[in-house]
Amino acid sequence: MTFYLLISPWLLGFVLLSAIPLVGAFVMSFTNYDGLNLDYLRFVGPDNYARALGDADAQYALGRTLLLMLVVVPVGLVLQLALALMVNQPIRFSNAFRTIFYLPYVIPVVAGVWIWKIFVDPSGGLVNAALGVVLPDFNVRWLVEYPTFVLALLTIWGAAGGGMVVFLAGLQGIPAEYREAAMIDGASRTQVTRFITLPLLTPVIFFNLVTGIIVALQILVQPMLLSPGILGLNPGTVPPRDNYFYVVHAYIEIFTKQLFGYGSALLWLLFAVVLGLTVLLFKTSRRWVFYGVEP
Amino acid sequence: MPGTTRREVLIGAGALAAAAVAAPILAACQPAKTGGSGKVVVMTDPNEFNDDDRKTLEAATKLKIEIVPSNLTTLYAMWAAGNPPDVFRVQAAGVPQYISRKMVKNLQPYFANSKLLKPDDLAPANNFYKWDGKQVGKGDLYGMVKDWSPDFTLFAYTTAFDDAGVKVPSDTTPLTYDELRDLAKKVNKKAAGKRVYWGFVHSNNDAWIDRTAMNMLAEKQQSLYTDDFSKIAISSNPEATKVIRYLYDLAADGVNQTPIDPSPNWMGADFNEGQIAILQYGYWYSAMAESDKTKGKTVFLPAPTWAGVRRDPTMTATGWVVSSQTKDADAAWAVFEQYMGGKPAQDRAKSGWGVPGLKSLYSQMPQESAFQKQVQKVLQGELSKSDFILQFNPYIGEETFATSWKKNLEPALKGQITFEKFVQNIEAEVNTAIADGKRIIGG
Amino acid sequence: MSLALARRRTSPAQTGVRYGPVVVAAIAFALPIFWLLVTSLKKQSEYGSALFPSVLQWANYELAVELADFGHFATNSLVLSTAYALLAVLVSALVGYGFARHSAPGRGKLFMLVIATWMVPNLVLFVPQFVLFARLGLTNTYWPWILWGLSGSPFAIFLFRQFFASFPRELDDAAEVDGAGPLRIFLQIYMPNAGPAIAASAIFMFLWVWGDWLYPALLLRQDNTTLAVRMANAYLDPHGNPLQTVTMAGVALYVLPLIAFFAFAQRFIVRGIVTTGIKG
Repeated sequence: MTFYLLISPWLLGFVLLSAIPLVGAFVMSFTNYDGLNLDYLRFVGPDNYARALGDADAQYALGRTLLLMLVVVPVGLVLQLALALMVNQPIRFSNAFRTIFYLPYVIPVVAGVWIWKIFVDPSGGLVNAALGVVLPDFNVRWLVEYPTFVLALLTIWGAAGGGMVVFLAGLQGIPAEYREAAMIDGASRTQVTRFITLPLLTPVIFFNLVTGIIVALQILVQPMLLSPGILGLNPGTVPPRDNYFYVVHAYIEIFTKQLFGYGSALLWLLFAVVLGLTVLLFKTSRRWVFYGVEP
Repeated sequence: MPGTTRREVLIGAGALAAAAVAAPILAACQPAKTGGSGKVVVMTDPNEFNDDDRKTLEAATKLKIEIVPSNLTTLYAMWAAGNPPDVFRVQAAGVPQYISRKMVKNLQPYFANSKLLKPDDLAPANNFYKWDGKQVGKGDLYGMVKDWSPDFTLFAYTTAFDDAGVKVPSDTTPLTYDELRDLAKKVNKKAAGKRVYWGFVHSNNDAWIDRTAMNMLAEKQQSLYTDDFSKIAISSNPEATKVIRYLYDLAADGVNQTPIDPSPNWMGADFNEGQIAILQYGYWYSAMAESDKTKGKTVFLPAPTWAGVRRDPTMTATGWVVSSQTKDADAAWAVFEQYMGGKPAQDRAKSGWGVPGLKSLYSQMPQESAFQKQVQKVLQGELSKSDFILQFNPYIGEETFATSWKKNLEPALKGQITFEKFVQNIEAEVNTAIADGKRIIGG
Repeated sequence: MSLALARRRTSPAQTGVRYGPVVVAAIAFALPIFWLLVTSLKKQSEYGSALFPSVLQWANYELAVELADFGHFATNSLVLSTAYALLAVLVSALVGYGFARHSAPGRGKLFMLVIATWMVPNLVLFVPQFVLFARLGLTNTYWPWILWGLSGSPFAIFLFRQFFASFPRELDDAAEVDGAGPLRIFLQIYMPNAGPAIAASAIFMFLWVWGDWLYPALLLRQDNTTLAVRMANAYLDPHGNPLQTVTMAGVALYVLPLIAFFAFAQRFIVRGIVTTGIKG
């Protein structure tokens, strides 16, 4: 009984703010709800789901999203691990380095987008100015010509610190004796990393992989804010085609086109994809994630 | 003991923070009341409605006014939240949809009793705020323009013409759209991969591309849509295909700002910077066309013609409507009426930011400087060509066509899809949106 | 070179291997932020024409505060973030304590539910919540954040549950002998010893609201919205032309407090995560 009393705030919140809305959203996905007016509300059966499966924009957006995920997640993981290994060495100023790598993670998305917009801006940006020294008349408009590239950099840069800290936690959980024992047996630094550290880190890699995938599939605010315009960003901004991702599509269907019913169906389909991928990862994890040692 | 100290600090900080936070939180948790409390929420563009305007209106109406910056998604979000603004800013292209969806209030009874806004005095552009269920321009009045302009007029930056060794077009003989395209290609200029002049920028970075197309088509009594608005008709209508092809070619020529060659700025600022040779924009822009750079080098030109029957209506007809959900319609109207007919309206007329919505205020438009005089001379010729209506589609929002156009223009200009496919995609997407709209209002 | 030698004394080559990549990475990470600061100190006329400011334009920062009613929005952000963080941390700690220390049928399943809500795509949950808040008339108020705070955060619940699970049981037993109830044990024994977990979760909860753009953009209005929403718009001159330099000054003011705070608090965060043990 005590248990239920203690968790009651969460349980109540879960029922009111998660369970009921989720059921509502599920019901909504079978209606033509437009968000404005209940007068026209009607059940449309599975129409929205049928439509989603035939929606060329949704397919395109899903393709772009998976592509982004396939780039950002592995590159991000490797970088996070590398950063953690680097600052975990006995080096001077390791605290300062750790702080530098961690900072972008705490920079809010609006600020992060501005920072990159100005950084790659053809007229006032450092990137083109620096490249212009080497290549005269260099004039790439990054946000127009390579918007997904900039977005990938922004997300990798922004997420690296968070992943690094989790890796650091994992590294510090590995008993030092293991590595020392291997060293005494004549193993090189690389060998220790490859055969001792990495296997013991697989649970952390797995954790960062799963969270990385979930975040990448849901990307919304960054691409919307990263549109090439400089004046400002409003909730109705449509990103360039390259950065038209799945949740962006769902968001536009819902909040710009007022297709709340259809947009909900799109989001449920995404949830199914996320769930499927997660289950799949958990299944494969038995083969490569090493749970042998409790630190 | 360090532990104790930290705990005390934490508790102290927590208490302080709680006290600091509690008061404003409690205040902020009161839902802001809309209407019924002497407060009117107006969604409009802060650039055209500043704090002084607000104070003037508040003084005149004895009401409190809250401004929400205008944005279509925010507007719909507020509607979805069951909390729409009492008065909101719209453009002509959206009016039939707002009326069909019963989002706006019929203001006919208010106009009938108004001392400031008399039906005879209303400029023809106000007809965009009428919709009888079948046609724009017929039936009761649902709103009013804050001001308007013949929107297809041109601004030429003479330096760009001198640069290209091309004569600046005459301000008495209107160009044809074909002549305009040739001219645009001549004055268009890039150097070392960087933009010097855009040749011909129009349709507000394509946000109004359907309006431009519809005005061109109207010269031949045609439209982008079938008569009952149930379908878009481009590929089945040779004339419509021709117009769309023309606008597409301008983009392909690289004389206009496009998704593959956008400007980070808005086109008005680019003209001020001397980066646009010919800009198609309404009369209102004359109030700011002259910057340090373009002063004395800007000429106002009449609207071009597509098929020899020149028309120069407004395509924006920016104005206000009153929400059907307002809790105090009288208060909303009071603000509306003062803004449209009171001192703010006179101030706007004098500033030259558009032709007034009331004919009686026409004489107040500025004509002091040489440029203003030249503008007025051309404008007088345009006013006689401006009494036209464009039949916007009631089933779709004002951005539907433009969104689809911009989205498909990018792959088309990159050569990933053909022009035919470009048109097909737009038709398919707009038809889907029309079907959605029809389903919603049961039309 | 033999291993033994290498360990005794680091050669310049090894110093290079050890420091080279980390220094390069640090420069790459810091450069965009550095450029933000450089841009924020330029004259607007220097934007796009001069690489570095000739004279540092601290006035940009004054302009950034004046032109945007900065203090007003910063206060909104501070109030909302603090309120949410306080509530969410307190509630999450309590719930995490319940999960860690009190057993009841269904506990395992309920804990899985906590984790599951963490995985539901944000927008899936937000859209119906938005409709709900709308129908209840809670848009344009801070209630949604209060309600979110009162129901705790799955992330923080997880964190506290892991953290409290590592506490020795004897603590409870001793207190129970003294006749203390679960709430008193929680407040007097668990909370005072949960410093790192409180710090880490409070910072994340605060940061979530301070940095979030989407929810305030959709739920709040111009007068009560947060700094994030205001900062999403560029500063403009009277002609509507963007002032990149002042905008960057505004952005810097928006993030600098966070940066200063994190530089100071990051060891707490790391400790919070390390002691919690993500592996579970």
